[in-house]
Amino acid sequence: MMKRDSMTPAERGAAIANGMEVDRLPCNPNVANGVARVYGCKISEFNHNPKALAEAQVAAYRKFGYDSLRIFTDLFTWAEAMGATVAHHDDSTADLEKPAISRIEDIDKLRPADPYRDGRLPVHLDAMKYVRELAKDEIKCSAGIVGPFTNAFFLLGVNDTMKLIHKDPEVVHKLCSISLETCKAYAKAALDIGFGPTISEPMSSSTVVSPKAFREFSLPYLKELVDFIKDYDGTKVTMHICGQTEKIWKDVADLGIGGISIDNVASLEDCKLAIGHRTKIMGNVDPSGIMYLGTPRDVRIKTLESILHGYDSPKGYVVMSGCSLPVETPFENIQMMMDTVREVGYPVCPERVEGMLADCRK
Amino acid sequence: MTKKEELLKALSECVVEMEDDKVIPIAEEYIKSGYPAIDGLLLGLVDGMNKAADLYESEEYFIPELMICSDVMYNGMDILRPHLEMSDSQQKCKVVIGVVEGDTHDIGKNLVKIMLEAAGYEMIDLGRDVPAASFIDAVKNKGAKVVALSTLMSTAISNMQKVVELLDKEGLRDSIKVIVGGGPISLELAKKLGADGYSKNAVEAVKLVNRLMGA
Repeated sequence: MMKRDSMTPAERGAAIANGMEVDRLPCNPNVANGVARVYGCKISEFNHNPKALAEAQVAAYRKFGYDSLRIFTDLFTWAEAMGATVAHHDDSTADLEKPAISRIEDIDKLRPADPYRDGRLPVHLDAMKYVRELAKDEIKCSAGIVGPFTNAFFLLGVNDTMKLIHKDPEVVHKLCSISLETCKAYAKAALDIGFGPTISEPMSSSTVVSPKAFREFSLPYLKELVDFIKDYDGTKVTMHICGQTEKIWKDVADLGIGGISIDNVASLEDCKLAIGHRTKIMGNVDPSGIMYLGTPRDVRIKTLESILHGYDSPKGYVVMSGCSLPVETPFENIQMMMDTVREVGYPVCPERVEGMLADCRK
Repeated sequence: MTKKEELLKALSECVVEMEDDKVIPIAEEYIKSGYPAIDGLLLGLVDGMNKAADLYESEEYFIPELMICSDVMYNGMDILRPHLEMSDSQQKCKVVIGVVEGDTHDIGKNLVKIMLEAAGYEMIDLGRDVPAASFIDAVKNKGAKVVALSTLMSTAISNMQKVVELLDKEGLRDSIKVIVGGGPISLELAKKLGADGYSKNAVEAVKLVNRLMGA
């Protein structure tokens, strides 16, 4: 019989923060809209039904017992609240259909979103309140949000905005700056409910834009958002950037964040050596090749390898997938990640993990 | 340097340096001077695109830069194309390309298309959010030898698999090379999907197709 947890995620988190003993490493398989599969609803039900969104999140948390519960459904929620059109499919993740404006001349028509009124933002905020009732003090919950730079692309369209980085930098700054106001307002609303923001910034990835472009267009606005949240109630955000990020790790650590989660294409070990002494690192089991398409044995091997790379990171380490899991990720793979972390226990004994790995590979 | 060489160099530099307006009068001057359009294309514009690709590989250029470079190339091509001789347009094989169903992100697909086009392949672009059956139809109707599948969404990977399975079912699999690419795809995953090849970016995709087609 698999080991059971003897602490709640909140107790575990607090104990680790205070340098005390815990039962196991924290683990976040990063189940995203896949919670619908646990709860047994369609993804479209999340869009207008805060109770379904909350109950699905809590149902998946209770099934697997992982350490993170985040209200987030797709990248486009904030752009939609600022006028973008989003395609809401019946049972798959929403997609951007049309940006908020189609011509640069219309940029002054853009307004920051009101989180209590616009688009699906009130649905998400209400979902947070439901989660707070359901999960009580068991687990520290978070509010997913996209960073200002990423949101900017959805306001004027990804292709056009990409080119404007060279052709009209001022326009990109304007888009980021108005996005920042939306981000701040939403972050404040979430903090008022007791949810700490986690920022996703996929467009900041060095797989997409140069570190130079990141520093000029994304970093200043991220800094203002991170500082705003810190000044509001002391909350340190966690940050996720997809793709390759090595060249911007130090910039992100300089923001003074609570943690960074990295994609499977980036090296957890290098990340630990570069910024592990400054912030918590999270990641980076391959969400598609391993978690979605791999066997439970693949998941066990990659989870153990990840643990060996990350367990001794000075400011802490969370076993996590490199990005949100595909909706149809098999439950047994998610369960395997959790069970492996439970079996490894705490403190991590690297020799034992090596042994477990060797057994697996036989 | 002859005037022709100077103009070719200028065309190439326009592409590398992202001069999407400047390229037009230079291409016009090139044609007016009576030089062959095919040289302007291959030794000028495509040469520039190849240099931009090198800069991408050495991580000096990223996606925005490649997108602008390809705009410049197309602007120049619009001027040169009407002047190409029939014999100039002898193509390497046909390649069907598209973003699989369930995904609308097409920047990566477009870059691969541009690079393969620059390398002389005839591209049949099915666009984005393309159902598996449409790939099969295109292969049958157009006589393509390569199918290139793209996705940025891990959620759409199963639809890549569907294309491979359908090719199999239709008895087309052995005569077609399938290549896959996109954010969540890896070499390991490509093998699992039953693809013939994977490349991590648009530049590598050209090398991959050349290799698969024995070019």
